[in-house]
Amino acid sequence: MPIIVNLDVMMAKRKISSGDLAKIIDITPANLSILKTGKAKAIRFATLDKLCEALQCQPGDILEWRQEDE
Amino acid sequence: MWNKDRSLLLSLGLVRALLIIIPVLCLCSPWMVRWYDLTDLDGIGLLDGSVFVPLMLCLNTAGVCAMVCLVYLYRLLANIRKSEVFVHQNCKCLRIISWCCLLASVPFAVFGLWRFLSFVMAFTALFFGIILRVVKNVIEQAVALREENDYTI
Repeated sequence: MPIIVNLDVMMAKRKISSGDLAKIIDITPANLSILKTGKAKAIRFATLDKLCEALQCQPGDILEWRQEDE
Repeated sequence: MWNKDRSLLLSLGLVRALLIIIPVLCLCSPWMVRWYDLTDLDGIGLLDGSVFVPLMLCLNTAGVCAMVCLVYLYRLLANIRKSEVFVHQNCKCLRIISWCCLLASVPFAVFGLWRFLSFVMAFTALFFGIILRVVKNVIEQAVALREENDYTI
């Protein structure tokens, strides 16, 4: 999928662990892992809102669109 | 009181019983077919003569298809019992069962040359195969929806 999730990059910038972030945004570590690894098919606005609040960033810092290779 | 668990258990029981009955019937088929061949002299068909060989081939081919169907039906029912309904494995089971029904219709259609009545069986198997194909496609769409739901964070 051409949408890339840069959650791990933002987490590294904010120096926050997966467990802590999962607790802050109130999702399971398993779901956070799905998001981090790019396996997620969609993200709810509510989750994105919590992520942006927790990481103090914009949605564009977490999600990126790239041209799909031919 | 009747409930869905009981209907599932009854279906599993029937499948288990048929898994035993069908091989037994296949083993006994030479005697049954010989009896049929001797008694049903007035059967209507394009071809005349003894139906022993064509009917034996027809029944045993259909028997193999039925056994494969039953094995996959058992797996399907076992998955449903484990509350795993919308999974890829069930789609695979339904696809195989559907193909077996379609394949089973072929020997009955061929035997229809000797006995026209066999076309009814061929049509029934073909109809079941096509309906199962539709059900398989529906389950496949449900699996896609479930996956999308599961992977929406």
